[in-house]
Amino acid sequence: MSVTRDDVLRIARLAELEVDEEGLPALVDQMSRILEYVAQLSAVPASEGTKPFLPPGPDAIRFRPDEVRPWPLAAGPETIAPAFKEGFFVVPKLEQFEE
Amino acid sequence: MPPAQAWETIIGLETHVQLRTVSKMFCGCSAAFGAAPNTHVCPVCLGLPGALPVPNGEALKLAVRAALALECTVHAKSVFARKNYFYPDLPKGYQISQYEQPLATNGSLSFLAPERGLVTATIVRLHVEEDAGKSLHDRFPKATAVDLNRAGVPLIEIVTGPDFRSPQEARAYLQTLKQVLEYIGISDCDMEKGSLRVDANVSVRRAGESALGTKTEVKNINSFAYVEKALGVERDRQIAVLEAGGSLEQQTMLYDAKDNAVRPQRSKEESHDYRYFPEPDLPPLVLTDEFVAEQQSLLPELPGKKRDRFVAQYGLSREHAAVLTASRAVADYYESVVHAGADQQTAANWVMTEVLADAKDHQEQLRVSAPALSQLIALVKGGTLSHQAAKRVFVEVAARGGDPRTVAESLGVIQVADSGVVAGWVSDVLAAHPQEVARYRNGEVKLLQFFVGQVMKASRGKADPKLAQKVLEEKLAA
Amino acid sequence: MSEAKAAADRLVKAKRLNALLTPPKELRKSLAAQAAAARPTGVLYGMPVAVKDNICTLEFTTTCGSKILEGYRSPYEATVITKLKAAGALIAGKTNCDEFAMGSSTEHSAYGRALHPLDKARVPGGSSGGSAALVAAGAVPAALGSETGGSVRQPASFCGVVGIKPTYGRVSRYGLVAFGSSLDQIGVFGRSVHDAARVLSVISGRDPRDATCEDRDPLRLPTVPESLQGFVIGLPREYFPADLDPAVRRACDRAVRLMKELGAAVREVSLPHTAYAVPTYYVIAPAEASSNLARYDGVRYGPRFNGAGDIRALYRATRGAGFGPEVRRRILVGTYVLSAGYYDAYYGRAQQMRALVAQDFRNAFDRGVDLLFTPTTPTPAFKAGEKVNDPVAMYLSDIFTVTANLAGLPALSLPIGRVKGLPIGGQFIGQAFLEDEMLEAAYALERAVPATEEA
Repeated sequence: MSVTRDDVLRIARLAELEVDEEGLPALVDQMSRILEYVAQLSAVPASEGTKPFLPPGPDAIRFRPDEVRPWPLAAGPETIAPAFKEGFFVVPKLEQFEE
Repeated sequence: MPPAQAWETIIGLETHVQLRTVSKMFCGCSAAFGAAPNTHVCPVCLGLPGALPVPNGEALKLAVRAALALECTVHAKSVFARKNYFYPDLPKGYQISQYEQPLATNGSLSFLAPERGLVTATIVRLHVEEDAGKSLHDRFPKATAVDLNRAGVPLIEIVTGPDFRSPQEARAYLQTLKQVLEYIGISDCDMEKGSLRVDANVSVRRAGESALGTKTEVKNINSFAYVEKALGVERDRQIAVLEAGGSLEQQTMLYDAKDNAVRPQRSKEESHDYRYFPEPDLPPLVLTDEFVAEQQSLLPELPGKKRDRFVAQYGLSREHAAVLTASRAVADYYESVVHAGADQQTAANWVMTEVLADAKDHQEQLRVSAPALSQLIALVKGGTLSHQAAKRVFVEVAARGGDPRTVAESLGVIQVADSGVVAGWVSDVLAAHPQEVARYRNGEVKLLQFFVGQVMKASRGKADPKLAQKVLEEKLAA
Repeated sequence: MSEAKAAADRLVKAKRLNALLTPPKELRKSLAAQAAAARPTGVLYGMPVAVKDNICTLEFTTTCGSKILEGYRSPYEATVITKLKAAGALIAGKTNCDEFAMGSSTEHSAYGRALHPLDKARVPGGSSGGSAALVAAGAVPAALGSETGGSVRQPASFCGVVGIKPTYGRVSRYGLVAFGSSLDQIGVFGRSVHDAARVLSVISGRDPRDATCEDRDPLRLPTVPESLQGFVIGLPREYFPADLDPAVRRACDRAVRLMKELGAAVREVSLPHTAYAVPTYYVIAPAEASSNLARYDGVRYGPRFNGAGDIRALYRATRGAGFGPEVRRRILVGTYVLSAGYYDAYYGRAQQMRALVAQDFRNAFDRGVDLLFTPTTPTPAFKAGEKVNDPVAMYLSDIFTVTANLAGLPALSLPIGRVKGLPIGGQFIGQAFLEDEMLEAAYALERAVPATEEA
């Protein structure tokens, strides 16, 4: 099942990934080949009655008690943030909130 | 404003309610409101590489209680799912929520609609999820400030069907929902603090049509009053467009309280594709029958039932019962006053007037204890205090505490019920007003109240007016 | 102290492999400080353990082989690191890997490819190529890696060392940078089964910070068995296709013969859905990855690649420049297979197939087989550049390893011979949480097999 240029651009928008014009044709080709490869799964008839897969490990959630006991942070967010001011992370304004 | 009669309005509501836990949904950070920004954070709620969610058991208990109070079917097995989208206050780039297998479905909530009477809203689903952080767009120029304290706080999302036919109905449902959730104690339900948030779906259709019109989503509604306003504004907008022959786009509208208007959420993006899939970092959520039964047993009597019981048990009118059961704290208070010995109707009157008025000015505190109020009512009944005096004592006890009798004595308002002393005042008054005495004895019996008033004046309000009246009648008859 | 210096020296000597991402100066300083603080009573006291750079440490940076985390210093450490330190081990630097563990050659690292210890024109395998190369070169006795589709076993096979992937849920993932959450597990490299197993034992066990980690005591190590009497080893026919490299087949045949001589019963079995395992994996892993990598947006950590404009411009510029081509491809494929209209056909179908793959294993084990034995990789290490531009060809090198990840089963690769001088591995696949049986068989085979001899 191959993808079109428009498909790739739409998916790139959803994934917030910049795709440059130059690389686009190769990317479309590679993605088509990958998706064609995995599409062989659709050829297998859907099997009813297969129990959904559960990995080994706990088969149900074990809850944490409701206490204020955060997992340790050796340093505050300001030490890793690319932009931090007056206690806040700072990012460029979302377009719709611009005046 | 275009007339709404030719048009039917269809509204559905999605309510997000913060659960009253001390820690967050998937990590042990504090869930408390109001801390300095980005101080209630850890690797998990910061969305750091390698962090993993671990669910809060208390949140599930509260969520199940809410589902039961809303008459939902609670599913023994449900699944957390990722809702994927990008936003600066969504640290992981996805929200852990529930999608195909939610915690509860198929509930209902009845409420009193202003025009249609008793309406039953369907609760299509109730599920558990985590809150996002907060984005502040006005703090820095050309930038958005992000605070992740709120990221990860537990929420339940309650979705109704398209059950409401007017903005007023929507508001009435919300007030009833808030009341129920406050009753069961699972949330503060405070729209100002953001522990209760509402998004609405609105569409219109010509009266008589059966198909639903194009719906829009209305967001950014921050109070119950704005719910009514915002929905009204959007309804009117839709009707205006359709009446002019135009067509409506399915879009998200943001309410602006400053100018009471709705505007489309300006976005070049197409509508969200959230790409839900089951959360691989969490096993399925499995609830035992015992767990659910325990939550059921922890539910208090719900407002509707309590109201009906008050009518039956205390002989109150529906309206009075409704006022007394509006909040669980007040209802419990009323019952304590009655169980301490006060007469049911008198207690009701006191609670509905003095108690609620005082509470309104003092952050809803019930400052006079139930036993104290009961004592106060008994003092009036026994003639020791006049009603007016009792109100003064109430104010004093509310502000400074103390027991009513002692406070009454210190205020000097204990009524004199000693007939000898009262007789003295009566004599003085009669002596001072011979003409009125003559007129009374000639048949102007309504002058009795005048004499009572004079006795009260002479006694500086201390005389028991009923006793005074009795003595006056005796003396005047003589 | 001198041990710390010796450990640092050995690692620095192996510099040419480009397997270690930690600068030598920082490495030396940290090792000296750690040695001074290490618990002398710990079972791994003084043991330097190198750590794949997708596992969070307080020492050193954690880049996951990517530009988007260049210079990132994690403010917390993974549970496995805490356990290693509590056992007295030294964290001996961060190792090179394919970006975000996506790859089978370590050619997709943003910090240059790692070299095969015996042939610099070849790849050490991936994604945990750096860790495998360092252990093979004798620079460290053990190293941590991670597996999503075989990223410990495959490089172990290529480099001629032991690589163990535990049962899913055996080792905490808290602090392992997520790629495919339902597949990821931290694994161990060692020069011998015993070295690798000792480290695995220390890092295993319950962790309240990982809801998918089983509430179990740490793995208890078995003793080396006298023979393999009583073991039933299954050989799945789908892993020995007609076109399997003859040299690889010879090496496996020799290993099987040795196991029989040790008393094991050997039986042919079938895992009929094997052919669908790779496409299944390449739907599920990218899907989960597309979601797991959404957090890399330049907002809270990592560098910002400033797009002029609003927040979406920031996202796109940062992610576009910060992620390499293989990661971008997988994010796009993953986003696609989860998107509206495609979910059922791709992701939904892949999950069904996954259940069938897992069922195949259960059926084999239910029929009395204790362990399965297969080649780890279809070939020895390939040349750098050979597959890097052909994603599907690269994916096919995972053909024998992905099934254990899909089923969540433990697996172990050990060197069983040489093919034209290059190492080749054989793998055991065991039953869930029965690593001890797998280790017993591995101990026995390791003793018997002439791992450095041509097959």
